[in-house]
Amino acid sequence: MFKFYMIVVFCILIFATSMKAQISNSVSKVNISDVIENKPVKISVSFIPVTGITNVVLAYKMFDETEFKQYDMEMMGDSAIYTIPANMIRSPYFSYYLSIYFENGNNETYPLGIPETGLPLEVMVKSVSAKENEVLVLTPSSNDKITTKDLLISVSFVRAPDIVDVKATQVFLNDENITENFLFAGDLMLFNSNNFPGLISTGTKSLRIESYDNSGELYITKTMDFKVLSEAELNAAKNQFNYKGTFEAESRNQSYNDNNTWFNNSSLRLTGKYDQLKFGGYVYVTSEEQKDRQPRNRFSGSVDYKEWFSLKFGDTYPRLPNLILNGRRVRGLEGSLNFGFFNITTTLGQIKRNIEGKIIETYDRDNAPLGSNIIEIDSTKYGNPYAMVTLGTFDRQIFAIRPSFGSGENFQWGFSYLHSKDDTKSIEFGGRAQENVVVGTDMNINLDDRNIIFKSQAAVSLLNSNISIGEITQAQIDSLAIEGDGKVLGIDKDQFVSLKDIVSGFITFNQNIGPLNPEKLSSLATESLLELNYFDNKLRGSYIYRGNGYKSFGQDFIMTDRKGFNISDRVNLIDNQLFVSLGYESLQDNLQNTQVSTITYNNLNTSVSYYPRFDFPAVTLSYRNRTRSNDLKPADSLYSIYNIDDNTDTYMAKLSYDFTAGVKHNSNFSISNINYNDNSTSKLSQKFLTTSFGLSSWWMQNLSSYFGLTYYSSTSDAYEYTYTALTFGSNYRMLQNKLNLSLNISPSFGDFEKYGFDFLASYLIIENLTVSMQMRYFNLPGISSNSVAGLRLRYSI
Amino acid sequence: MKNLIKITVFATFLLSVVALSASNFLDDETPIAIVKKVIRQVQLRETQESDWTAVKEGEQLMQGGEVRTGTKALALVLLTDGSGLLRVRENSILRIYGERENQKVNKNAFIQEGKVGFEVNKQEDEQFKFTTPTMVASIRGTQGVIDSDDNKVLCEEGIIELAALLGAKEAGVLTAGNTAQITEEGKLVIYTMTDAEKQLLKQTKQIAPKKMIIETDEGILEIEYYSEDEE
Repeated sequence: MFKFYMIVVFCILIFATSMKAQISNSVSKVNISDVIENKPVKISVSFIPVTGITNVVLAYKMFDETEFKQYDMEMMGDSAIYTIPANMIRSPYFSYYLSIYFENGNNETYPLGIPETGLPLEVMVKSVSAKENEVLVLTPSSNDKITTKDLLISVSFVRAPDIVDVKATQVFLNDENITENFLFAGDLMLFNSNNFPGLISTGTKSLRIESYDNSGELYITKTMDFKVLSEAELNAAKNQFNYKGTFEAESRNQSYNDNNTWFNNSSLRLTGKYDQLKFGGYVYVTSEEQKDRQPRNRFSGSVDYKEWFSLKFGDTYPRLPNLILNGRRVRGLEGSLNFGFFNITTTLGQIKRNIEGKIIETYDRDNAPLGSNIIEIDSTKYGNPYAMVTLGTFDRQIFAIRPSFGSGENFQWGFSYLHSKDDTKSIEFGGRAQENVVVGTDMNINLDDRNIIFKSQAAVSLLNSNISIGEITQAQIDSLAIEGDGKVLGIDKDQFVSLKDIVSGFITFNQNIGPLNPEKLSSLATESLLELNYFDNKLRGSYIYRGNGYKSFGQDFIMTDRKGFNISDRVNLIDNQLFVSLGYESLQDNLQNTQVSTITYNNLNTSVSYYPRFDFPAVTLSYRNRTRSNDLKPADSLYSIYNIDDNTDTYMAKLSYDFTAGVKHNSNFSISNINYNDNSTSKLSQKFLTTSFGLSSWWMQNLSSYFGLTYYSSTSDAYEYTYTALTFGSNYRMLQNKLNLSLNISPSFGDFEKYGFDFLASYLIIENLTVSMQMRYFNLPGISSNSVAGLRLRYSI
Repeated sequence: MKNLIKITVFATFLLSVVALSASNFLDDETPIAIVKKVIRQVQLRETQESDWTAVKEGEQLMQGGEVRTGTKALALVLLTDGSGLLRVRENSILRIYGERENQKVNKNAFIQEGKVGFEVNKQEDEQFKFTTPTMVASIRGTQGVIDSDDNKVLCEEGIIELAALLGAKEAGVLTAGNTAQITEEGKLVIYTMTDAEKQLLKQTKQIAPKKMIIETDEGILEIEYYSEDEE
């Protein structure tokens, strides 16, 4: 009866409220792996068949942060992938959006219109459910390698509450129910393969344990993979060089209106291990690789010895303190030595490939117009001394090194140096070549078994925005001193010369270098964080300062010209079933008085999440208030257009509920209401109502379905924009699970009309060899009609 | 008559204590630990009054159950509350108890003789104690070795609270990288772990003896050694 009631409640909610969907000209869907606190989250974006995407940037921030962290996603065929590291994921939710850049210089966001009219998406972060620690798989461990005779599966319910019906537990091995072979010993379940000779075959095994409560409702499902080997295989695995690899090849045709384009990609990934040595290699070759674009092919290799030596080459993604270099692709070398008391990490390579510019038109000296793309050229070669060009990209090299002291378990103190420079000779038709130096220090202290965590980092940068003219000469200094009454660029001439002598050892020194006056702290970036974990509280306080002139070529996306603090607390109550979060942040810009006014940003975040152990939906309620204001008044006739005074209230409710009504279902419902009140002279107030509902059902062991309904409504005085999107699909496995068919249909109606169709069939031809066929069709009535048909082969060794 | 009343009251009190204690233990059917792996001769008995029987993998250790290892033998014992793993080295005897308080489980491993290596997860408001005839060690998330024969505790990771049970009954805290020695007088001597003790820690983790067979003119020479592979 209760189940029925819950279903009715959900249905009423669906039809009584508005629903939300995301519209995009280029993104077809975003897949996000399970989002659990302190576990990595893989975000995979599939694109509608449009050409010309050069790169995709993922921007995300946690519940208690204002600044979006931004990272380049890895492009793979018609998708882009990024994994958010485990230590970044915190409950109750995180927000994200994508920035998609095209060859023609255009860009768009997903969802569209961020930050002007669009809203980032929010993804709930599950706290590690108390249930996870209540039902324990003692043996085997995930990814274990075990012989057929040593397989011992033991599941403990010692920590499970009384509502769990131990005897109702069902255990599946590769989807085969093996519960009847288990011995129940009180709160323990045991399976010993020795008691069932011949039952367990060799190969990869997927273990699934479903535990139920006393009312017969599913309490928790635990899964893990491990490998069963023969005695000979296990000995071989222990003593020999072990390797595994995957080869994938894909060919697909994309049709965009009347344009057909073929894409061919292939990749090979190999990993190996010999004793304590680990090897890795990866090659990705695509027909999208072109000399006039940044690289799309990827190759890399790695060697690791225990924890203390690591060498990577090819396309690497080094991680130094995030103010300096973090997650940026470097084509070159990355190495680290970790002795504990002393460690060193270094990277050297190319972060931008040189791409030659093109002459559009040449001019003689008298007729050359002014413009950023009008450059001097070799007149003996091209007939005229000036030309209008498509500016090329300089080869940009980077070198970074970070020695550090301490293992990081309790203490680590690091020092970082980064130097990056454009090679002025790498192309003929370029704009301004640049050079950048950053030095920084960082410290990490963990006390009382990580209950007290202190992290701090600081960095200062120097940027030369045009090194094409070379070093400043003494004659130029003298000339500038005469013009400046003894001062060169605002600095006493002698001091300027002294500064040049010191700095020119690190970076090209000329009149384009900055900042020359470090006292204003314009190129300083620093942040500190203190976290206290006591009495079921996670209390965090942080301070940031980012001068407006701070720049690191290793970190393109960092927010500058901000200072302020952030404080947040999360309390775990009722034995980790109730989580209450509260956060406040206050930031200011205009640190160096370079703008007309100073804007103050205040954010209040509150959230309550309830994950009950009994048969009831998990609920998260949140309220957020964001204000922006500056000291200009609407009445100020001179600066009234710069007046900022707005207030945004966001209310959100999310529910998820697993229930059994004939078969197992997983449902989720969310509603968020945003009121943006613009009290400035612009008066651009808006209201957003977004709602969504999803239902996944498992009809049979090999048949599942998904239904989703979303609605979006945005209103202001000037317009109203609403649409409803539907998505439904099914997944069916047949022929002993060798053939997997999935179909998804996703139309949307209202102010945004779209019809989408997605069909995927994959067939396991022989063990390790899978062939997949994908067909997708998208129609945006009156705008475009797109389709993709592709074939993919996957072979694992 | 008075004596009868006294005896009745005392017996009632005693029974109440026993009953209350029993109610706090894990239920009779649930093992405290299971034997995950066995190498060579390992025996088990349910109580001190029972007979020793040979152990197989997956065998259960109930309240007060004992494991005994023979020469060159090893038993890997897994606590059923997921709190950790014990490596019972050769010629050792381990007895194990568990007591449940709501969702929490307090454990006590009595090492009558021999050496036991341990990897214990962080204990939130729970106790994990090792007891030998001369000392008691309280563990909260650590790795190390209890050497009952030499009255030593080796701490590889974390912190161990120690107390001698005899003589001066000194108590102290042992941190990672150090060894504690309990003297016959009940004094606690803490010093930096020696190379030999570091080697002992390493050996304690080795579980897979390997055999090298060399054929010589005089016959076949078998060399058995422990590899560095861990379970």
